[in-house]
Amino acid sequence: MATNLFNWLKQSVLGRSSCKRCLELLELITDEEASPEEVKHFHNHINECLPCYESYNLEKSIKEMLQTKLEKKQVPDDLIQSIKLKIRNNL
Amino acid sequence: MSVEKVKQSYSDVQKEKIFETEFLPHINSMYNFAYRLTFDEDDAKDLVQETYLKAFRFLNSFQQGTNAKAWLFRILKNSFINDFRKKSKQPPKIDYQEVETYYNSDSVDVSMTTDLRVETVQHMIGDEVSNALNALAVDFRTVIILCDLEGFTYEEMSKILDIPIGTVRSRLHRSRNLLKEKLQTYAKSMGYNK
Ligand SMILES: [Zn+2]
Repeated sequence: MATNLFNWLKQSVLGRSSCKRCLELLELITDEEASPEEVKHFHNHINECLPCYESYNLEKSIKEMLQTKLEKKQVPDDLIQSIKLKIRNNL
Repeated sequence: MSVEKVKQSYSDVQKEKIFETEFLPHINSMYNFAYRLTFDEDDAKDLVQETYLKAFRFLNSFQQGTNAKAWLFRILKNSFINDFRKKSKQPPKIDYQEVETYYNSDSVDVSMTTDLRVETVQHMIGDEVSNALNALAVDFRTVIILCDLEGFTYEEMSKILDIPIGTVRSRLHRSRNLLKEKLQTYAKSMGYNK
């Protein structure tokens, strides 16, 4: 039930132009590509609009998830040596 | 960044120095990018090596002190597309429906297509995240890696991928929606998000 209510709220705010603008800015904000005015506008809006605030948190948490949870592979030991050797032979 | 720029003429000593101080420090990122493109450690090694050898061969087109990481990523991505994908025994993993849907949607739509919740995302473990990302077609996967994992700006991505910034944005948006769908499907199958 709570989910349905939330969806209904989401649907109803989509019609609001300030929300539309806010969602257009969303990725610019989380990617740090927005201008200072856009950042200000965005934060003013999400302070008053729960659905947009939720969308913002989701976007941020996905980005964070990608940055922190993906395993980083170690470069194989011999790779750098092998590259250097081939370069030296080319000099 | 581009080849049209003034050619430099570095001495061998300078070349070696640029290579050591500006190129090699990015090898971790390069290797991880290569691995996320090829899904194979040996292929990733070959791709990184090929990229570094090319970078060295074309070093005179590189201006010292400029954005080496973006330059290297561009070479790697081009090597992957032009040489590597053809040589590779594995057929390219493309989800045609995804590609088609993407190319048919010309603008950045703002629809909220997902019921995915922050708590669900926070509970995901590395393998689940990895599987979701790896399930995306390579063009979609690439923009997420460049933006979210490597922190490139839209402008840098535009140069690395040879596409306009508007396309970078719409492709990112589409990729993120697809990723959310994958995560959501996974969450449902695990019984989260009731
Ligand atoms: Zn709103």
